[in-house]
Amino acid sequence: MSLNAYLTLAALVFAIGLFGVLTRRNAIGILLGIELMLNAVNINLVAFARFHGDLRGLVFTLFTIAITVAEVAVGLAIVIVIFRVRRTVEADRLDLLRG
Amino acid sequence: MTLEMVGFWMVAAVLVASSLAVVLTPNLFHAVLYLAAALVATGLVFLLLDSPFLFAVQLLLYAVGVMTVVVFAIMLTERLVGERIVQTSRSLLNGAVVAGAVFVGVVGFLIRAPRSVLRPTLDADAIPAIGRALVGPFAVTLELLGLLLVVALLGALYFARTDE
Amino acid sequence: MPTAVPHGVGLDPAATNMALLVVLLPFVAFVLLAVVAPLRRRGQAAGAVSIAAIAVAFLAALFSWFVWKGDAHVQTWAWIPADEGPTATVGVLLDPLSNAMLVLVTLVSLLVQIYSLAYLRDERAPSLGRYYTYQSLFAFSMLGLVLSPSFIQMFVFWELVGLCSYLLIGYWYERPSAARAAVKAFWITKLGDLGFVIGIVMLWTATGTFEFHALFALAQEHALAIEGLGTIMLLIYLGAVGKSAQFPLHVWLPDAMEGPAPVSALIHAATMVTAGVFMVTRAQPLFVLVPDVLVLMGWVGAFTALLAATLACVESDIKRVLAYSTVSQLGYMMAAVGAGAPDAGFLHLLTHGLFKALLFLGAGAVIHAVGTNDIFRMGGLFRTMPQTGVVFIVGTLALAGLPPLAGFFSKEAVLAGVWDSGMTWPFLMLALSVLLTAFYMFRVVFLTFFGRVPATGHPHEPSWTMRGPLWVLATLTVLVGIRLAAGSLRGRHGPGWLAPLSVAAALGGIALAWAMYQRGAVDPGRLAATFPLSVIDALARRRYGIDGLYAGLYRGFILAFSRLIGWIDRYLVDGVLNFVSALTLRGGDLLRRIQSGYAQDYVYGVAFGVLLLLVWAQWWAR
Repeated sequence: MSLNAYLTLAALVFAIGLFGVLTRRNAIGILLGIELMLNAVNINLVAFARFHGDLRGLVFTLFTIAITVAEVAVGLAIVIVIFRVRRTVEADRLDLLRG
Repeated sequence: MTLEMVGFWMVAAVLVASSLAVVLTPNLFHAVLYLAAALVATGLVFLLLDSPFLFAVQLLLYAVGVMTVVVFAIMLTERLVGERIVQTSRSLLNGAVVAGAVFVGVVGFLIRAPRSVLRPTLDADAIPAIGRALVGPFAVTLELLGLLLVVALLGALYFARTDE
Repeated sequence: MPTAVPHGVGLDPAATNMALLVVLLPFVAFVLLAVVAPLRRRGQAAGAVSIAAIAVAFLAALFSWFVWKGDAHVQTWAWIPADEGPTATVGVLLDPLSNAMLVLVTLVSLLVQIYSLAYLRDERAPSLGRYYTYQSLFAFSMLGLVLSPSFIQMFVFWELVGLCSYLLIGYWYERPSAARAAVKAFWITKLGDLGFVIGIVMLWTATGTFEFHALFALAQEHALAIEGLGTIMLLIYLGAVGKSAQFPLHVWLPDAMEGPAPVSALIHAATMVTAGVFMVTRAQPLFVLVPDVLVLMGWVGAFTALLAATLACVESDIKRVLAYSTVSQLGYMMAAVGAGAPDAGFLHLLTHGLFKALLFLGAGAVIHAVGTNDIFRMGGLFRTMPQTGVVFIVGTLALAGLPPLAGFFSKEAVLAGVWDSGMTWPFLMLALSVLLTAFYMFRVVFLTFFGRVPATGHPHEPSWTMRGPLWVLATLTVLVGIRLAAGSLRGRHGPGWLAPLSVAAALGGIALAWAMYQRGAVDPGRLAATFPLSVIDALARRRYGIDGLYAGLYRGFILAFSRLIGWIDRYLVDGVLNFVSALTLRGGDLLRRIQSGYAQDYVYGVAFGVLLLLVWAQWWAR
């Protein structure tokens, strides 16, 4: 398959992930959407690495996977703390940043 | 239709379907499971792109590790005991429009690119080259990554502890 | 660093340093009194400081008169530096004109300040201290004015002198009439000052300098044929019109009598009001280039003299009579300058300074003793205050212009100058004024010092602190007169019939006053009722409506204008500001809604930004 096919696939998954971030009510649901977006990025990186013969894309992917893992851990820890304090993880109820 | 093409379409279908399921299904638990499926499908994409190493890493870290963590988090943040974990999303249309617009925007660039870029032939095995790159030019980055992981770990530990 | 020495003028530092001493001593006294409040609050001590300063200044002035009276010396320092020579300088110009003024100003200031110690004895000490602070400031300002080597320095001191006048007229500021009079004086003279400053600046724009010596040099080399010189000099003359109370800006001087008598003597007789005459005399080389302005000056001066004389005839307040008399005599001086005889005008300025100050101080003594200003409530004071009476009569005779007193010679010189210039109508006006002057002054004398004794008060001679200056001035009046008679130099003589005519006119006026007020042979009321005197009498009693005119103009134009400006300020200017602030607040409220607090809304924002970037990248970065 051509490069464009893979890139299109990645763009589609990215858009779906974005949709999930924008519409999900549960905080963890939002995090799942973020996962999808990061995943799509990885597909992009690997596709470029393969089609341009450049190793750096693969290395970059490794790094992003590791970083994502860290981010998920911390993000979920925060969600847990919010749940403890506010007794809810619904994004609609969390408006402490209101100006 | 080469084998590779067939494989691509199949994996792509699975990936897209499970992604949609992740964001649309009302039950959060189901969403997590669908995400696992999407992550495995991504791993298969990596395999199609001649990176078995990354396929393995994806499976191990994402499909297994991240999912475990997410499941635990769900357990901790829902009032269970027989309750179904329901999800209703807010204003689906707005989100769809915006996400669709982003997709169109990106694809707009892709259309301009030349149609078919041929795959170059694989000369050497990637895995040793990756290894050499990690301890060579990317050594510092690797170390920093380790540091990041330690910090994230500590942070998560700190957050998650109970106050006594 | 002193600036370049002008051509033809000496640069003797001793002379200019002496002049600086004269002007700076009162300044030091002023600063001392202004800053050291405890000193100022002990009234008599403040008086001592001020008097000491002016006394030494007087001695210095006298010294410089005897040593350098014929020469001219100048010393200037750059004030506003510029590339080709300073734009404005500050310094002293000591020549016969300013030297004479130095002596006059310091002498009269000294006598007045000594006199004030007794006259204002009943004032509270802090008020008295304030008085002497102002007196020192005034002395400094007036001396600085006469020593100015440039128009701009003169203007600065001009304004300062006006300020001091305001402060001293309103010395008893708790009295509403005094406060009003001070403001009125300030306003009316400010009108003239407006013309003055515009004229100066126009002159500077045309010639590039404010300095007198440079301007006079240009005038001499006929290099001053600029357009609109007439307008410029007319505007500058306007300043003199205001300051020296010429018609129609004379209305402030009678009201200025609200101030204490010594203030009237100093400022409104001998010194400040003469600043206008001084300035016109100083700027003679420029005025001779515009003969039309000089002719106007002569006419206005003569008319002012006559007008004020008629107004004095119907006044019953002794100080007001003297005020109108001052206006009248200022008219004489300006008429002389306008007729091309500035030396005569200046001579009259000097002699008038002496005897008018004398008359005011004498009037002050009378007021202090009797407790009223109204001459119809006085009478027979000669018996109880003979010395005051004598000096007052000496002053009156000088003012009327009888030989051998000083006033005769200076008045004769003025009349001669006007006659020689061929200005007939002004001459007639001035001659008539001679008669009227003698008349109204002796009216005052007869009503005040002779006649029936009224029932009120016990008048007595004032203390020697007040009497001393009176005798000094009276003696000087006589001595100066004798000196003028003996020297028979300064001043013109005119045609042979002039001197007898003026003496006859004066005697005629005295005789008329004697007949009306001493003898009762002619009833003033009946005389005033006969035509055409009745018309003049009626008009004069209403001050010819000029005050009313000014008040009407003020109410009609200035107040209306103020109200308009006020409306603009409140509704337009403030309106714009209020609108902008309301806009900001409303805008802030609207923008606040972006901060919903929901993280997903912020993601929407990010997504929009990304979309914009994509669009931009598509189209622009082609």
